[in-house]
Amino acid sequence: MLQIDHLYKNYGKFQAVNDLTLHIPKGDLFGFVGPNGAGKTTTIRMVCGLMLPAAGGIMINGVNALLHQKEIKKQIGYVPDFFGVYDNLKVKEYMDFYGSMYRMSSREIERISDDLLELVNLSDKKEVFVDTLSRGMKQRLCVARALIHNPALLVLDEPNSGLDPRARVEMKELLLNLQSMGKTIVISSHILSELSEMCNSIGIMDHGNLMAAGRIEEVMEGVFGSNQLIITLDSGRETAIRVAMEYPGVKISSAGEQEIRLSHTMTKEEIAKMIGAMIANDVVVTGFHKQEGNLETLFMRVTGKEEGGQEHVAESNR
Amino acid sequence: MWLNPIVKRDVRVQSRSMKICWGVFAYELILSFVFFVAMMVIEQGNRYSTNNIYSALVWLYPVLAVTQLIILGIVVPVRTASSISGEKERQTFDIMMTTGMTPFSIILGKVMTAVVQSMFFVVASMPVMALCFVIGGMSISYLFWFLGVALLVSVFSASIGILCSSLCKRSISAVIMSYVFYIVFFVGTAAPFFIYAIVEARRSYQGMAPYNHGENTALFFLLNPAVYLIEFFVKVMSGESFVSIFSNLTGTVQKKELISYVASGNWWMIISTVLFLAVSFSFLLLAARRINPIKKRKVKV
Ligand SMILES: Nc1ncnc2c1ncn2[C@@H]1O[C@H](COP(=O)(O)OP(=O)(O)OP(=O)(O)O)[C@@H](O)[C@H]1O
Ligand SMILES: [Mg+2]
Repeated sequence: MLQIDHLYKNYGKFQAVNDLTLHIPKGDLFGFVGPNGAGKTTTIRMVCGLMLPAAGGIMINGVNALLHQKEIKKQIGYVPDFFGVYDNLKVKEYMDFYGSMYRMSSREIERISDDLLELVNLSDKKEVFVDTLSRGMKQRLCVARALIHNPALLVLDEPNSGLDPRARVEMKELLLNLQSMGKTIVISSHILSELSEMCNSIGIMDHGNLMAAGRIEEVMEGVFGSNQLIITLDSGRETAIRVAMEYPGVKISSAGEQEIRLSHTMTKEEIAKMIGAMIANDVVVTGFHKQEGNLETLFMRVTGKEEGGQEHVAESNR
Repeated sequence: MWLNPIVKRDVRVQSRSMKICWGVFAYELILSFVFFVAMMVIEQGNRYSTNNIYSALVWLYPVLAVTQLIILGIVVPVRTASSISGEKERQTFDIMMTTGMTPFSIILGKVMTAVVQSMFFVVASMPVMALCFVIGGMSISYLFWFLGVALLVSVFSASIGILCSSLCKRSISAVIMSYVFYIVFFVGTAAPFFIYAIVEARRSYQGMAPYNHGENTALFFLLNPAVYLIEFFVKVMSGESFVSIFSNLTGTVQKKELISYVASGNWWMIISTVLFLAVSFSFLLLAARRINPIKKRKVKV
């Protein structure tokens, strides 16, 4: 759907985006994360045709975005990080204004904008002046506006900034809803945990470089290396090690009196089998969990703000 | 028909605010003031003559028309200077650029808004203008000529305002820049001829032969709004061409230079009009190019 190839952008000498290559498949809800100044907005603006890259290519739905602006504009709905609204304009006129920019007929606009305002929960505000709406409402109105021409790709630059927790939940539901309608969505944010709740893939950016990208699980695995398993036990350490070594890819990283850490390439079923075999061999297993960094740790790690600091997340074997 | 959405929105928004009402009020106020002053002057001039005072009322036409054109020339750049920079200041510009509107249709929408606005004012002045025709007995066709010139003035000044608006970050600097453009057109176009005239006067004083084709520097006057308006009103009021009278006086007509052909008959007005339209159009193209973030430049892939 969205294919970015070796994208570069510099402001004078400052390299804002550096060799960015990224593929976002159709139907994805892609989260773009990075600290301030990472280059997210710059990338998004290039994708939306608001800025020319220094080098590189952008393909949307197989169309070269840099050469065929007109077709691309029909495919993208853009919600900027900061945007204003016009004074003295009512919500339905606001929708009509943008709708007619796509040369839609008033009838069509009215029908579609009714649906969209319903979707973003603003149906009762049709006759209200846009400049009197609250920040969250404006944000939702802007999403509705971005969808007026039924684009396949929706790009939102930090849509959650300035929203209260409730509005964030609503925004999340709205985006998931849109995803289920088959839209491809790109959303940028500083807050990874927020994205991890809804996105199925992420890209982590820092200082213009894409540090990691892909399905959330893959990104985590890529960053933390192979899977680690921690087994705690009361007795039977030697037996446990002997049993474990029979399973695929198992390497013992450390073996304390009551705790064994091992890296492996096992599936969940194989882990269950291994634990079962240990218990069958009279090892007193008191617990086991997967060692996993959570997303924040991952983020910190990737963006180089903090080393280590991994947290243990209990993993029950279902 | 597809009405440019920018015009539609601007007209709608403007009809809601009281600003335009006050604007028309001020406009009419100025016109009535000029009207009364002109009446007084006409009355003074006729006090001791036996001429019919009503026929003197035709002079209201150039006075009121020039007043209106001056107001338009001053106001239109102010109104259009915020057309692009104002969208940027309001942070609505980016969204507009990602919609289906091409940069040129955005610019065109802005010009049309400005022209519609100006015409609104001009039409509002019609009752006062009508006096020249009803009482003064002037041919009604001049009313349409005036509308045409007002249209040209608003297109021209709007295109300057919009170009400046696309060049400047802030609306206020766009206004100032527009007036600098005016100076270029009013003074800059006159400069070549006057420089030529001074140099020539010196040379003839020193007994040197005149330059060939030097008179053609007067062609720059084709783009001088003041000359255009003088030509227009002299033509309307006396039926003669100011430019050809002027060039007769300076003896250019005998010389068979390019200028002597241009200055004859209606050619001056026609060529000048076309040139003003062409300049306006190219300003608009420049503005459209300027706001286009993706210029047709080669991208390394
Ligand atoms: N117009 C500009 N001129 C010069 N430098 C710029 C410009 N726009 C952005 N930058 C620089 O480019 C870098 C990337 O900016 P960008 O806005 O893309 O970051 P971001 O990831 O969106 O950050 P944030 O989370 O704060 O929105 C920053 O260091 C910024 O200073
Ligand atoms: Mg940003």
